[in-house]
Amino acid sequence: MSRLPKSQYFILGALILQLAVTILLFLSGRTALMASLFFVTSSSILVLGLSKSLTTVTTTLQQKTQEAASRLGELEETKKQMTQVLADLRNEKANMEKEKAKDEALLESIGDGLVATSPDGRVLVVNHATEELFGFAKDELIGKRFYEIIPMADARGELIKTEDRPMKIALTEDRKISSSDYFLFGKGTRKFPAAITVAPVHLNGEIIAAIGIYRDISHEKDVDRMKTEFISLASHQLRTPLSAIKWFAELLSDSSSSLSSEQNDFVQNIALSTERMIELVNSLLNVSRIESGRIIIDPKPTDLVALVKNLLLELEGKIKEKHHRVIVTAHEQLPEITIDPKLVRQVYMNLLTNAIKYTPDYGEIEVAISKNDTDIISRVSDNGYGIPQANKEKLFQKFYRAENVVKIEPDGNGLGLYLVKAIIESSGGKVWFESQENKGTTFYFSLPLSGSVRKPGEVTINS
Amino acid sequence: MEDQPTVLVVEDDKQLLNAITIKLSKEGISGIGVLTGEQGLKYLQESGPKLPNAIWLDYYLKDMNGLEFMQKIQTQPAWTEIPVIVVSNSASEDKVHSMLTIGAKKYILKAQSRLEDIIDQIKDLIAQSPVPSS
Repeated sequence: MSRLPKSQYFILGALILQLAVTILLFLSGRTALMASLFFVTSSSILVLGLSKSLTTVTTTLQQKTQEAASRLGELEETKKQMTQVLADLRNEKANMEKEKAKDEALLESIGDGLVATSPDGRVLVVNHATEELFGFAKDELIGKRFYEIIPMADARGELIKTEDRPMKIALTEDRKISSSDYFLFGKGTRKFPAAITVAPVHLNGEIIAAIGIYRDISHEKDVDRMKTEFISLASHQLRTPLSAIKWFAELLSDSSSSLSSEQNDFVQNIALSTERMIELVNSLLNVSRIESGRIIIDPKPTDLVALVKNLLLELEGKIKEKHHRVIVTAHEQLPEITIDPKLVRQVYMNLLTNAIKYTPDYGEIEVAISKNDTDIISRVSDNGYGIPQANKEKLFQKFYRAENVVKIEPDGNGLGLYLVKAIIESSGGKVWFESQENKGTTFYFSLPLSGSVRKPGEVTINS
Repeated sequence: MEDQPTVLVVEDDKQLLNAITIKLSKEGISGIGVLTGEQGLKYLQESGPKLPNAIWLDYYLKDMNGLEFMQKIQTQPAWTEIPVIVVSNSASEDKVHSMLTIGAKKYILKAQSRLEDIIDQIKDLIAQSPVPSS
């Protein structure tokens, strides 16, 4: 309740006095004077009441006005802020649209097909190159299951099951897959070899999509095939003059008694170099046979121990020359394995000739064949020169030779281990190694107990 | 020499043919060298009853391949008795298989073998085979 101002207390005091005088006048019978006084008193009371109300209203009004002014100020400030926020939002929206347009332009400009799918394999995003690659318009792809609309086949032409599709593997196993061994099908019957890279997309620790890049590599495959055919043809052509050099060197050796000792040395050098050249041509032919995919894989039940022992008989001369000790051990119940004996023989051959070549005289070479639940594991180890740490990564590359052995043994073409890897992988196995420089090297390769898959073809190794 | 064995060598590369006949001669064998399949067949026709003891045959010839040569040999029963050894720089499985099936005794990869080793094998074949007669 609001209090009266001080001046009004005087009026109130006067009124109380007038009221007392009026009552006295009434009691004394002076009614006329009393009536006048009553009127004055009533008026004063009224004035006093009005004045009080007015004061209250005025005060309230003043307060309300102040509050309103304060609110107005706040509102003005809020409005200003809101306007700024709106402006910022507009800018942000414009920037986002610009960024989005930029991203879309980037996506559209990627020369390779790009496909993003949801975790259930439905197509979320594709770019223009994808439309051109597969012959489908965006509308025909978006929302569809990628596995169903774009079939995929392996190198043998067999369709890949959904669970084995790279995109499915990327999503379920959370890993990136890159390969150039698949064929993809576009609209109609268009089938083309493709280089693909598929990777899972993570957000806040969850896989939210898979993204794949697809490129038609028909041209690269054609060039590769032509290269392989050229190597094959050139190598065959090289064999005829090499045979002539070899045979005439042999005829010269037959006449060694009529040659000087120096001339005999020359003939031996010619013969040795010719053998190296023949070996190189043979290796090149084997590489071209494997790379062309024309090689026949003809699995037969094979006793690996017998195969190795037979091979060691063939290498006996070289082993004796370097006074190596060779040990062969095998699992007591090693079963026969259904593999292509010609191909696997070449693997042991390359690993053993390397072990002999890169182990100093009086070294030790061991072949151990063991098995586990799924594979037969062969181990070929030596205590030779070893492989420098820095060279390990490149060891299976074509024509690569480790830096240390190039200096010790100039004779070598860098194709042996490349062939080993190619043969083992085409037989369904894996190859790996451990090595320490000047301590020795151990190569391991696995072959599935279930055996290799038969593959029709046109050529065999070493033919 | 009257009893010197004779080997017909069908090889289209002159240098190789030269090396082969020299080596055969050194080994006491008379080498009759021809550069084409037709020349080889002509020699057989003209040799009458004195057929060669063996034929050294290259697979790729200028006028025919080894298989065609073998098919022509099959037309004369007497010729089929002559052991044939194929010496080629191409030894794919299908070629080896078809040549051995049609009657060749051996298939050798040229660049892999020394002349001496090939001739040893020819000598073995001659020793095993019946003396050809017309």
